[in-house]
Amino acid sequence: MKYFDRLHPAVAFVYFALMIAISMLTTNPVVIAVSYLSSIVFCGMLIGGRQLMVSLAYNLPLLILLSATNPIFVHKGETILFFLNDNPVTKEAILYGVFASMMIMSVFYWFKCYSTVMTSDKFIYLFGRIIPKLSLVLSMSIAFIPKLKRKYKEIDEAQKALGIYSGKGMVDKIRSKFRVLSILLTNSLESSIDTADSMRARGYGLKGRSSYAIYKMTASDKILCALFILVGTASIVLIVLGTVDFNFYPTLSPISLQALQIVAYAIITAFAFAPTILEVKENVLWRCLKSKI
Amino acid sequence: MKKDLFAICIVIFVLILVFTGTKIQSVEDYYLTHLDDITEDSQTVYLSIRCDTILDNWDKLDPALRQEKYVPQDGVILQRTEYVLRKGDTVYNILDRAIRHNQIQMECIYSINYASTYVEGINHLYEFSCGELSGWMFMVNGQFPQVGCDRYTLQDGDEIIWCYTCDLGRDVGCYWEMS
Amino acid sequence: MALLEIKNLSFTYQGASNKALRDINLEINQGDFVLFCGESGCGKTTLLKLLKKQLRPNGSLQGQITYNGTNIENLDEKQSVCEIGYVMQNPENQTVTDKVWHELAFGLESLGEKTAVIRRKVAEICGFFGIGSWYHKRTCELSGGQKQLLSLASVMVMNPSVLILDEPTAQLDPIAASEFLQSLRKINQELGVTIIIAEHRLEEVFPMASKVVLMDKAQVFLCDTPRNIGQRLANDDMSHKMSLALPTAVRVFYKTQGTGQTPLTVNEGKQYIASNFAGSNTTCSFEKASRQEVALQISEGYFRYERDLPDVLNGVDIEVYKNEFLCILGANGAGKTTLLRVLSGLKRLYKGKYRLWGKKIKDYNGNSLYRGNIACLPQNPQNLFVKSTVYDDLMETAKVVNANVEQCKSMVEEVAQKLDIAHLYQSHPYDLSGGEQQKAALAKILLMKPSIILLDEATKGLDAYSKQTFAQVVDALKKDGKTIVMVTHDVEFAAEHADRCAMFFDGQIVSCDNRVDFFATNRYYTTATARMTRPYFTNAVTVDMAVELCNLNKGAK
Repeated sequence: MKYFDRLHPAVAFVYFALMIAISMLTTNPVVIAVSYLSSIVFCGMLIGGRQLMVSLAYNLPLLILLSATNPIFVHKGETILFFLNDNPVTKEAILYGVFASMMIMSVFYWFKCYSTVMTSDKFIYLFGRIIPKLSLVLSMSIAFIPKLKRKYKEIDEAQKALGIYSGKGMVDKIRSKFRVLSILLTNSLESSIDTADSMRARGYGLKGRSSYAIYKMTASDKILCALFILVGTASIVLIVLGTVDFNFYPTLSPISLQALQIVAYAIITAFAFAPTILEVKENVLWRCLKSKI
Repeated sequence: MKKDLFAICIVIFVLILVFTGTKIQSVEDYYLTHLDDITEDSQTVYLSIRCDTILDNWDKLDPALRQEKYVPQDGVILQRTEYVLRKGDTVYNILDRAIRHNQIQMECIYSINYASTYVEGINHLYEFSCGELSGWMFMVNGQFPQVGCDRYTLQDGDEIIWCYTCDLGRDVGCYWEMS
Repeated sequence: MALLEIKNLSFTYQGASNKALRDINLEINQGDFVLFCGESGCGKTTLLKLLKKQLRPNGSLQGQITYNGTNIENLDEKQSVCEIGYVMQNPENQTVTDKVWHELAFGLESLGEKTAVIRRKVAEICGFFGIGSWYHKRTCELSGGQKQLLSLASVMVMNPSVLILDEPTAQLDPIAASEFLQSLRKINQELGVTIIIAEHRLEEVFPMASKVVLMDKAQVFLCDTPRNIGQRLANDDMSHKMSLALPTAVRVFYKTQGTGQTPLTVNEGKQYIASNFAGSNTTCSFEKASRQEVALQISEGYFRYERDLPDVLNGVDIEVYKNEFLCILGANGAGKTTLLRVLSGLKRLYKGKYRLWGKKIKDYNGNSLYRGNIACLPQNPQNLFVKSTVYDDLMETAKVVNANVEQCKSMVEEVAQKLDIAHLYQSHPYDLSGGEQQKAALAKILLMKPSIILLDEATKGLDAYSKQTFAQVVDALKKDGKTIVMVTHDVEFAAEHADRCAMFFDGQIVSCDNRVDFFATNRYYTTATARMTRPYFTNAVTVDMAVELCNLNKGAK
């Protein structure tokens, strides 16, 4: 069990919301690079090195492709490298492409981390508070999907073995799938009557329904949450105030390293790497405990 | 197997199309343009490029562009210069030749809707670079023609001015007729 | 005063002409374990649903049902939700939410309990049922048996004093069913909860019951203690349909005209035979089916679903002869269904040979495998139906094989005649009972004129009478020269009707023999009759065989 998994869902949600906002608010290459790096490292900690490699193998080519698209369509920038069909390809446009796609990738990885940590029941818990009915609907639909999938497979096999459609050729394939879907629909309607009965039998529809959850906000959760909000909001305020503004066109603006900028970069870096640090700290602590035993 | 072969063929075909359709030029090649010498009997036009309106709207200008090299202090990007008019030359042809000769940055797009070329930016000054109503316009003999620059054919002695507006043309003397 | 009292109850469904229930009078006391049995469609479910206020069907009702002296109709909503628990047949459809903890809390949430209260009650119930380790699991990861136990627990968490269960083990395999029934017994014995259960498989639940209600044609036919039921059936009407469903010991008892206490369990039955029928005749003679040509054959077949997963079929060898009925038995998850998938050509072996009529499976192009060769009846026959009436559905399939409408009609007619489903033509396939659905699905398959029919757990959830009709259908098919392979948990059915039985374990066929020798050799995985008559009889695997030997020995004495 990862440290972040054990946090109260609200804390994790606050962190991810702030971090994704930071990643999307600025074009500053330093901030983007930090966010990109930290998201990948944290994602690796959550899903394991091998899985990360697999996902990077898909993402790096995509990154290159996205970076290459920008200079083809955008011709701004002072430093012209060459002309493509009478249109200038500039250094600025290439760099902008690289960092813009890095930003997209970092957001992608933050969302990947988010979906690993925030399982459906955590999400339901968080938003069920706001709309109690919705939490049940979400929970039910999440339970419904694997059922539906399994049923679909069953019906598909049954129909295939009946041998009405050969499943070869596009038209035949579509017709047989359509057939399976129509059976699935009738089947699901039928079984939903049972589900409704089961719900009514257990008092669904009585007045004053409550919502149960298995999460508890501990003192350390509260402290961490406050810290996250503090540091995260500080970063966002600094970005919005323009402390780390950066322009790619017509020429790259210099990265100034004044006191204020250094503070901003430090805060953002600390915030971005916070989950990784917490995770590492937890691992080290555990090792220490284990060696004592 | 057959399907795979087919797919590979298509990919190769597309690649060939892309490569034959792209022309890659170095910067020097691109700017290497031939300007006809002005002789007694050659027809000529005059071209100048100005952005003085920006000077009055400095606070609206994109901070990244607040530099002498983008907005010259006198607002003149290209002094009034005489160019030889070839047969059938449009405003765009003259601008393109002048820009290449003087190595000034320019970007334009071809709009299919209007079937004409639209100049987005000259010397890194783009539309919307100085407020929401800013962009490039051209004037021939003191008039603002209501057509695209590649659809306006020039005549001997025409006076072309490309000017940057910060107020949809009103600040350079173009008042769209209210219809 | 009785806890539940049913007085002169009659019920007619809206729009129906026949009464679903007629003049029912019953008294159920606190702590009773009441077993309802009867053919499907006899009104059990209707009666059970009428006991739960929230689930009452629409229709006209005469007479009354009172709970603790109050009419069910007038019960407080909350009270009826809490105090009368209801568990249904299908575990799949009953689970509502995605997580086990949420499912357990569902009822308490409805009642508006506080988080702390819910937490305590859920913890208690997890302890009672020993399901604490599932708490964080997703419901879709649970097996059928686990899901059903979860349904039970999520009803029990509301602390009901009456628990109603409608065929709760019909969809479970025997081991899971037995575990479930043990939990019920625990609830009854340790908590004193009144249990009202409808069931088809009576072998285990019958001895647990304190009262058995036998229903027939919307009426209560018999109502007595289990011990007396055997006696009374023997006296009243030996050929009654329901007698087929009774536990082995009871059936042997009344078929041998026993007197005194009715034996209910295998153990009691054994004592009954020991004291009455031990004798010199110990072996039944039976006819072995003669072997014909090989219909399908797998030699050293290996199969796995994914590269990284272990083999499901692990060097399986199987031969099926023409015109035989082969039952493949085995525990849950052993890979029986996978074997069936391979046999039906839906999955391919990655190693080993599979020949059908001596020809490699690969050589059957396109649909030729499913036209006139192999057909598969899925576990859930509903998966086959497309149209809104049985007739349309059959015609649709017939059209695939025939071009001519007249030909189609006569073909459907012929099949329907054979399976006796002509009277169901205009019904919606989903409205049929389990047994009828099975027959309609089988008819659909037969239209493809298969020579080999594969059946997946075809007797699951069927009542004893439907099972018998199904056996007759299988016999008729065999007479037509069809080869039938069935995967099943139902040892009793296999022992009575199969030609050969095979035991599937660890991805292989570990034993395969004719039905009598197969079950006579098995010590544990065998029929109740075989377990009960051993060591007095050597090969009595069905009730009829045991009765035959008993009568012989009785005559000898």
